[in-house]
Amino acid sequence: MNSASQTATLDQTAPAYQEDRVKVTEGVDDSHVTVGEAMLDNAKMSMRDVHVHYGDTHAIKGISLDIAPNEVMAMIGPSGCGKSTFLRCLNRMNDTIDICRVNGKIQLDDQDIYDSNLDVVALRARVGMVFQKPNPFPKSIYDNVAYGPRIHGLASNKAELDDIVENSLTKSGLWDEVKDRLDTPGTGLSGGQQQRLCIARAIAVSPEVILMDEPCSALDPIATAKIEELIGELSENFTIAIVTHSMQQAARVSQRTAYFHLGKLIEVGETSAIFTNPQHKLTEDYITGRFG
Amino acid sequence: MTKQSMSKVEAHLARRYAREKRFRFYGLLSVFVGFAFLVVLFTSIISKGYTAFQQTYIQLDVTYDADILGLYDNPTESDWLYANYDGLIKAALRERFPEVTSRSEKRELYKLVSSGAKFSVRDSLDNNEELLGTTATLWVLADDDLDSVLKGHIDRTLPEADRRVKDQHLVWIDSLVENGEVEKRFNTVFFTHSASAEPEQAGVWGAIKGSFFTLIVTLVLSFPVGVAAAVYLEEFAPQNRWTDLIEVNINNLAAVPSIVFGLLGLAVFLNFMGLPRSAPLVGGLVLTLMTLPTIIISSRAALKAVPPSIREAALGMGASRMQTIFHHVLPLAMPGMLTGTIIGMAQALGESAPLLMIGMVAFVAEVPQGITDPATVLPVQIFQWADLPERGFVERTSAAIMVLLAFLIAMNAFAVYLRKRFERRW
Repeated sequence: MNSASQTATLDQTAPAYQEDRVKVTEGVDDSHVTVGEAMLDNAKMSMRDVHVHYGDTHAIKGISLDIAPNEVMAMIGPSGCGKSTFLRCLNRMNDTIDICRVNGKIQLDDQDIYDSNLDVVALRARVGMVFQKPNPFPKSIYDNVAYGPRIHGLASNKAELDDIVENSLTKSGLWDEVKDRLDTPGTGLSGGQQQRLCIARAIAVSPEVILMDEPCSALDPIATAKIEELIGELSENFTIAIVTHSMQQAARVSQRTAYFHLGKLIEVGETSAIFTNPQHKLTEDYITGRFG
Repeated sequence: MTKQSMSKVEAHLARRYAREKRFRFYGLLSVFVGFAFLVVLFTSIISKGYTAFQQTYIQLDVTYDADILGLYDNPTESDWLYANYDGLIKAALRERFPEVTSRSEKRELYKLVSSGAKFSVRDSLDNNEELLGTTATLWVLADDDLDSVLKGHIDRTLPEADRRVKDQHLVWIDSLVENGEVEKRFNTVFFTHSASAEPEQAGVWGAIKGSFFTLIVTLVLSFPVGVAAAVYLEEFAPQNRWTDLIEVNINNLAAVPSIVFGLLGLAVFLNFMGLPRSAPLVGGLVLTLMTLPTIIISSRAALKAVPPSIREAALGMGASRMQTIFHHVLPLAMPGMLTGTIIGMAQALGESAPLLMIGMVAFVAEVPQGITDPATVLPVQIFQWADLPERGFVERTSAAIMVLLAFLIAMNAFAVYLRKRFERRW
C-alpha cells in the first residue's frame, strides 16, 4: 500500500493519525479523534461522547457515532474492544448489569434514550436485538414470534396475530420451512433456523432499529449466507447495527463500517473505503490481518 | 521420540492407569458400603415389622344375654352404648373353658381377649333388640400377648417367671389353636385407629392424618413465601451488604438444629400468640420456619440455572422485568423449585424434634379432624412407640417406620417424576 497517497487523502479531522502510525503497537491514547465521517446530518441514532464503565474498568472511552436511517452499520474490531458493549447501550441492555455505568448522550430520532422519562420497555420495542447465540424461547415457533406483539398489545385479535407471525416469518425467510409445524418447539430447529426465528421474533414488533450482536458466529457458512442475505433485505425497512468478527461479513452486508480498538472508535467510513483504503494504521493492520 | 523417553512415558502410563483403577475401585467400594447399610436397614425394619400387618383374632360363641348386658325393656340409646358387652365376652370365655373355676384363674383367662373386643361385639349387635337371647359366632380381637405367642415372638423355653405369658395362658392358647379358633388376619386396626396403650388397638391413622394436616400447613405457607423470597433475592434485590447478610443468614438457618425451631415455636406461637398446643397448625408453622431456607436455597439455584440468554431475549423484546420473570424464568425454574419443595416437605415429614417442643408428643387417642385438633405425627408416633415395653409395640414401631418410609419414597419419586417431566433441554 502506498502510504504517501494515503496521507494525501487523509481527513483533516484526524490529526492524531501521524503519531499513531509510529506507536501503533501501544494502542491508542485517550485523546484519539475518530477518523472519518462519524457524524451525519440525518442520523437515525446518534451517540455523543459515550463512556461506559464496568466497575473500575473503562470499557468505552468517549465514542461519538451516527447511524443513518436504513443503513447497515457494521462494527468491527478485535475481541474486547467494546463493540458489543457499545451496541448494547443502544437499547439499554446494559441496564441489567448492576456495575455498568453509561455516560454521554444517545439519541434515537432526537430523543435521548437515557432520559429518565423514557420507558425502557418502549425503547426496546423500537430498538430490537438479535444475539450472538440463537436464543429462542423454549416455546412453540408461533409463540416465539407472537410473544413481542402480545406483550406490547400489537394485535387486537387472533387473526391479526396470525398475520403478524406469518409476515415476520416470511420476512425472515423461515415461513416455508416452518409453516406446517408452528406449534413445535422453536428450540427444535437447526442453529441457522433458530437465528432466523430470533430475527423474526425481533421484527414482529416492527422495530425501527435492529441491533445484531455477532448473529452468525455460531452458524455454519450456509446458514451464515442466508442470514447475510436476510440482513440485506431487512435494511430496506429497518436500520441495522451489526457487530461482527468476520471482516468479510462486514464487507458484504454493510454500507458503513466502524472500527473499534480498546474502547475507542478509531475509524468510520463507507465500507468500501474502509476495506480498500483505511486511513488509520490500526484499521489497516486489523483488516490486513496483522492482529485481532 | 527416543526409545528412552518412550519407556519413561510407558512407565508413567502404567502408573496413571493404576491410579485410575484404584480411584474407580474406591468409588465402587463406597457405593457398595452405602448400599449394604441400606440393605441392612431395610431388612432389619422389614423383618421386625412385617408381622405387624397381621393381627390375631379369636373365635368366640357369644350369647347376647340381656341380663348380662343389663338391658331391660325399651332400652335407650345410652343404654345400648354403655351396656356390659365385656360381660358377654367373659361369659363366652368361661363357656369355652369350663375347667377354669377359680376367681384368679378367670381373671387370667379374660386377658386372652383384647379390651377393645367389646366394641366389635357392640357393632355386631348393632342396637338390634331382636338379636337379644341369640348366639353368634364372632371373631374378636385377641390380646397382644396371645398375638405375640402365635407370631413366635415369645420364647416358650424360658422359665415361666421370665416370660410375659404364663404357662396356663400357653395351655389355653394351644387349645384354641388346635381347634382352629384363632386366626391371623390383615391388620386393618393398624391403618384405621389412632394411638392406644394396647398394641392390638394401636394404629397409625391418627398420626398419618396429623402428618397430613401439618404438611398441608407447611406447604401452603412455605412454598409461596419461599418462592417469592427466592425470586425477590435473585431477580430484584440489589447486590449490597444487606442482601449479602440475608443470604448468609438463610444459609445459616438451613443448618440450624431443628429443635431450635421447636423452641422458637414454643416461645412465639404458643406462649406469645397463644395458639393451641399439640395442633398441626403450630406444627406446620414451626416446620415452615425449618423448610423455608431449604426451599429458598433450592429455588434460587433453580433461578440461577435458567440461562441468561433467555432473560436477554425477553428483555430485548421489550418485556418488563416482571414479564421476563413470570413468562420465561419462573416456568423454566419451576421444576427445580418443585423438586426443592418436595425434598423440603419430605424433610418436614420426617422431623420430630421441633414438634416435641410444641406438644405434638402428647398421647392423642382421637383421630384429628382439622388443623387445630390435638394431633401427633408419624415420626413422633414412632418415637413414642419405640419407648413402650410391650412386644406388640416393637413390631408396630417397625411397621410405622415402613409406612413413613413408603410416604418418603413416594414423595421423592414424585419429585424425580416432576423433574423428568418438566425438565427442558436446549
